[in-house]
Amino acid sequence: MVDIEIEIDGNVVHGHSGESIISIADREGIDIPRFCYHKKLSVAANCRMCLVDVEGNPKPQPACSTPASAGMRVHTNNEKAKASQKAVMEFLLINHPLDCPICDQGGECELQDVAMEYGSDVSKFNEGKRIVADKGIGALIQTDMTRCIHCTRCVRFGAEVAGIVEMGATGRGEELKIEPFLSEGIQSELSGNMIDVCPVGALTSKPFRYEVRSWQMSSVQSVARHDLVGSNVFTQTHKGKVKRVVARDNESVNETWISDRDRFSYEGLANENRALTPKIKVKGEWQEVSWETALEAAISGIKKNSAEAFGALASKNATLEELYLLQKLTRELGSENLDTRLDVANPSSASALETTISLTGLEAVDHALIINSYLRLEQPMINHRIRKATLQGAKVSTVNAKAFDFNYRVASSVLSAPQNTVVTLSGVLKVLLESNSQALPDYLKGTKVNQAQIDIANALSAAENGVVVLGEQVSSNPCADQVAKLVEQIAKASNAKTLNASATGNTLSAEKVSFKPNGGLNAKQMFDADLNAFVLLDVYPAFDCVDSAAAIENLSRDDAFVVALNSFEDASVLSFADVILPLASFYETSGTHINIENVAQSYSASVKAAGDSKPGWKVLKVLADLLELPGFDYTDSSQVADDALSLSPSLAATEVDIIAMEVPNIATVWQYTPYASDVLTRHSQSLQQTQIGQVSEATVSEATAKILELSQGDCYKGVPVNINETVAEGCVFVHTNQARQR
Amino acid sequence: MISEQAKQQIDTWVAKYPAGYQSSAVMEALKIVQAENDGSLTSELIQAVADYLEMPVISAHEVATFYENYNHKPVGKHVIRFCHNISCMLNGADDLISYLETKTGVKTGEVSEDGLVSVKKVECLGACVGAPMFQIGDQYYENLTPQKIDEILDGLQ
Amino acid sequence: MNEVCFKNIDKENPSSLATYEATGGYSVWRKILHGELSPEAILGELKTSGLRGRGGAGFPTGLKWSFMPRNQDGQKYVVCNSDEGEPGTCKDRDILRFNPHSVIEGMAIAGYVMGATVGYNYIRGEFMEPYYRFEEALKEAYDAGLLGGDIGDSEVNFDLHTHLGAGAYICGEETALLESLEGKKGQPRFKPPFPANVGLYGMPTTINNTESFASVPDILARGGQWFADLGVPNSGGCKLFSVTGHVTKPANFEIPMGTPFSELLKMAGGLREGRTLKAVIPGGSSTPVLPADDAMKMTMDYDSIEQVGSMLGAGSVIVMDDTTCMVAALTRLAHFYYDESCGQCTPCREGTGWMYRVLKRIMDGQGKIQDLDLLMSVQDKIMGNTICALGDAAAMPVESFIRHFRHEFEYYIKHGKSMVENDG
Ligand SMILES: Cc1cc2nc3c(=O)[nH]c(=O)nc-3n(C[C@H](O)[C@H](O)[C@H](O)COP(=O)(O)O)c2cc1C
Ligand code: SF4
Ligand code: FES
Repeated sequence: MVDIEIEIDGNVVHGHSGESIISIADREGIDIPRFCYHKKLSVAANCRMCLVDVEGNPKPQPACSTPASAGMRVHTNNEKAKASQKAVMEFLLINHPLDCPICDQGGECELQDVAMEYGSDVSKFNEGKRIVADKGIGALIQTDMTRCIHCTRCVRFGAEVAGIVEMGATGRGEELKIEPFLSEGIQSELSGNMIDVCPVGALTSKPFRYEVRSWQMSSVQSVARHDLVGSNVFTQTHKGKVKRVVARDNESVNETWISDRDRFSYEGLANENRALTPKIKVKGEWQEVSWETALEAAISGIKKNSAEAFGALASKNATLEELYLLQKLTRELGSENLDTRLDVANPSSASALETTISLTGLEAVDHALIINSYLRLEQPMINHRIRKATLQGAKVSTVNAKAFDFNYRVASSVLSAPQNTVVTLSGVLKVLLESNSQALPDYLKGTKVNQAQIDIANALSAAENGVVVLGEQVSSNPCADQVAKLVEQIAKASNAKTLNASATGNTLSAEKVSFKPNGGLNAKQMFDADLNAFVLLDVYPAFDCVDSAAAIENLSRDDAFVVALNSFEDASVLSFADVILPLASFYETSGTHINIENVAQSYSASVKAAGDSKPGWKVLKVLADLLELPGFDYTDSSQVADDALSLSPSLAATEVDIIAMEVPNIATVWQYTPYASDVLTRHSQSLQQTQIGQVSEATVSEATAKILELSQGDCYKGVPVNINETVAEGCVFVHTNQARQR
Repeated sequence: MISEQAKQQIDTWVAKYPAGYQSSAVMEALKIVQAENDGSLTSELIQAVADYLEMPVISAHEVATFYENYNHKPVGKHVIRFCHNISCMLNGADDLISYLETKTGVKTGEVSEDGLVSVKKVECLGACVGAPMFQIGDQYYENLTPQKIDEILDGLQ
Repeated sequence: MNEVCFKNIDKENPSSLATYEATGGYSVWRKILHGELSPEAILGELKTSGLRGRGGAGFPTGLKWSFMPRNQDGQKYVVCNSDEGEPGTCKDRDILRFNPHSVIEGMAIAGYVMGATVGYNYIRGEFMEPYYRFEEALKEAYDAGLLGGDIGDSEVNFDLHTHLGAGAYICGEETALLESLEGKKGQPRFKPPFPANVGLYGMPTTINNTESFASVPDILARGGQWFADLGVPNSGGCKLFSVTGHVTKPANFEIPMGTPFSELLKMAGGLREGRTLKAVIPGGSSTPVLPADDAMKMTMDYDSIEQVGSMLGAGSVIVMDDTTCMVAALTRLAHFYYDESCGQCTPCREGTGWMYRVLKRIMDGQGKIQDLDLLMSVQDKIMGNTICALGDAAAMPVESFIRHFRHEFEYYIKHGKSMVENDG
């Protein structure tokens, strides 16, 4: 790329040869009106709003599609440019309904903004406006296609970014219509971005519909904490309520996109199941009480028991501050019984695997091996970066229990039940080591390899910039630690980077503050050990615990005293808890999220906590004070964050023995829909109404079904069985929005 | 949904384009499938064509709604496509279209009760030296007069 | 007359390979196959011939061919534009029907010159008879060993296929045509990049009109200078003119460039008994209309027609006599562009419908005198602001009809009816 100088409106500016005029102008802060151009999408040049005068050209040129060349002289607002821009504006408005007073886009509409500047007051058009009957595209996006200006940003977004060719421009001429083929809804985990890219009110947020005018809201910078990325968002609030969440640009984190989960989960905040008042259980009956009373009850219950009998369990989505304070409280009490890994078959787990690649680094990989993950739904923004790499030619291979619907082509895939993943990966490692002429460790000596393993190994070693991604489904695997170890070895042998996405949410904050037992009991052991006092931080065992029935049974023991800090009321928690302390939910508390790059992103509360609920860090601080524990004299959550961030957890290397042996039993791989991944999303109605959110299916192969004596349509752990061959032998893949059942 | 014979026909078109660009054949594929389904397309047929050519169905739908020669409503066994553009108009096309409408009892855009003919006004068919003209099936009929129209109509079955 | 594309039109079986070869057909191609003609020599002759694109824009063909990155690796394509859909134009249909081999040979030569081994002829979907004739000719050419891979051990490769349209005028625009060939909607691409760099399937591609290709073999067989001399300076050769409308013998005529319009009118049998000439559209519906006096002054070449205020376009001469209602004629053309706009870009999508509706309202007796200024302003706002030239094509008739025949429009608006009594 050669650097060039051009002149825009008399100013000498710099660009690269071939760069579009609009991109140079944008960088220089020179305003050129546009509708179809979007910096993250391909150029369409169809709206014609950006026409400018380029000296030497008889016709005005679109700034978005005209490459700059050295010495070019551009006028963005001389008479010729203005005349063209005004002409286009007039054309755009003749068939636009101009129903701004009832349009949700009003006040933040690109058309409205530009019209103010370029439109003429009186329309000379008197011929009757076009009205478009629209098909509707699902629970999240409201369509009012009469307002559409045919810029095709949404179509391009779908095809280019989301990787779904579902929207199209059908018909022709004046009949051109932006619509999907069927009205079943846009099937994408990123669909809500279409709302952001739409310059007018044709695509707006359905849950937000008619809630409040855009200019009446305040925007607060925040961070979404549903996944490992911590996408930057604005929460838009009105009268103390979050009314909408939109993307906030941060090129190195989420670019300009956010996942639907991050965008629509806020809806859960207003759900009627919110825990709003402190409660204590008196003789089996719940009583609403004051905070003082509830806290008294909590500490007296805790104090009654010895430190060894005390355990703390926390949600992976808790804030850094909450996690820090709860671990501190627990440790000050003298207990090491701490855990967030409630959903893993074996909490010694995969957390030791380090992430060695950055988000932007993912875009540059030429090969990605994805293990135990439906990455697209688990980590939409990480998957998006890998998709971008595939658009540049990167290949993807997978080792998964099921063939998932990725939004890019998977070059080679191995179906592997969790218990066989160690064997599968051992084979891959063996090929890699042998091709490097490296000595084989003992555990690989007897390993047999098949073609699929060879293919994956070869692809990895051929890659210059490979990455191995380990996903959430590894948690179903009792040998998760071995899998993690093998991933590390494979990466080492192939010079690839690693990405540990085995646990989601704010897991890296839990790691940061060592919210795990150092010599104490892990989640599973706590339940086995029949502890006498628990503090649960936004934990809902019916969903969150791998063996939810056992957990609930244990917590329900008469001699188990349970203090539940909950943002939502949940039937099973009500059944076993003794004290409910209502907790501020997402966006209601200040906090910090540590993302996959180990970047700590702090945010303040967007709104006041609902009802009588309080931010977790305050509740925990007061609890500690009442327990007369030292070191809790915080007055601000940022002081907590400072303390937490100054910790440097010791990464004690644990020895892992790898036993590469095929295990004959049948495993269950449990995967929640992305909209059942945490308590807030589970309470967001629109997310639940999407097709992605409504999946509930236990897929099993014919052979495995026979062994389990399952037939099509039966229930497996409460989920309808679907028999087909997309799934590995020896496992049942449960993809569901339902609580776990035995 | 698509007959074996139609698939073979489609395949001969697919063979003209480079490997991986089989969707270049979508326009003909839609025509072939339309022809074996009484001259019009349904969503199911469009889906079937898209599946056969391994292309996104919305793209096939875009094509099916962009071009004139696809019908999305039932049409007559014979579609009379009458040119009403400038050269034909200068040579009396409008009067002849009225004549045709009266004669067949079918208004433009409609199908006769027996399903035999439908009449459509179309833009220039590129036979202006033979104006006025219309097209039925593959055939152009030029230098039309009322008498000629009578004869042509009598020949339709 | 009938020297090049139409030279066999009166022979028996004009479209057959035998007829074509009997008059020297494929002699140039055989020379190439024998290694006796270099690409540079061909380009030189073409430039000398003064052949300008016959699809409407009149871009010099030799120059266009020289833009192709001949020695660049990878697939390149030549594409023939037989989409012929401009109202008044019907010459390519006859070339396909009566001289298909000239198109095949022209395309093959183009492929050789530009290093393209595959060609497509995009024929409009309604042209079934021409399509069958062209396919027959293709088969003959393949059977005779004139096409294919390593033709006659010459190491020259050229495969040619037809593609059929499905009803869309816009596919005549070359980039829309490429989209359509790729199995998409025919929506023009913005330029740059130009097809010579990024064309069919993203590869370098040259698109020419049927008549342009059909002219090439004779130019090379008889020399560029011979062709140039047929015409006048800046308008080399002879060209097909489709004369339609109010003439007694409408037909296609292949005549030397520079022939006076009056002579062409005579060839077409002149006007009907007792009628006088009112207006002429000289180059197809998208070129400006000329009042009779201006038309009678022109000779049929690029410069002369431009001097009187219009364009040679595709050589589609639409003759209108004094029985023509100009309001009705314009309304019909406006409807055409409204109907055929691809809808992609704002000015054309919104503007063509607006103009048509205003004209329709005038035709319905609901016109207002301000409507004429409104129409002028709308056409002006489309002009030059669109992705492809369909926008301009839609604007030009409106501008020229109203400019030249404003009184007729005013009369219509005032009286709610045409000032021409017996239209038709
Ligand atoms: C709206 C529109 C329609 C056109 N239709 C045709 C057509 O039917 N046939 C054609 O040869 N060129 C047509 N053209 C011109 C082509 O874009 C292109 O310039 C031409 O095919 C180039 O060939 P030539 O250089 O041999 O003329 C059309 C252009 C426009 C803007
Ligand atoms: S000018 Fe008309 S036909 Fe051309 S691209 Fe624009 S909308 Fe399509
Ligand atoms: S922004 Fe350039 S044409 Fe739309």
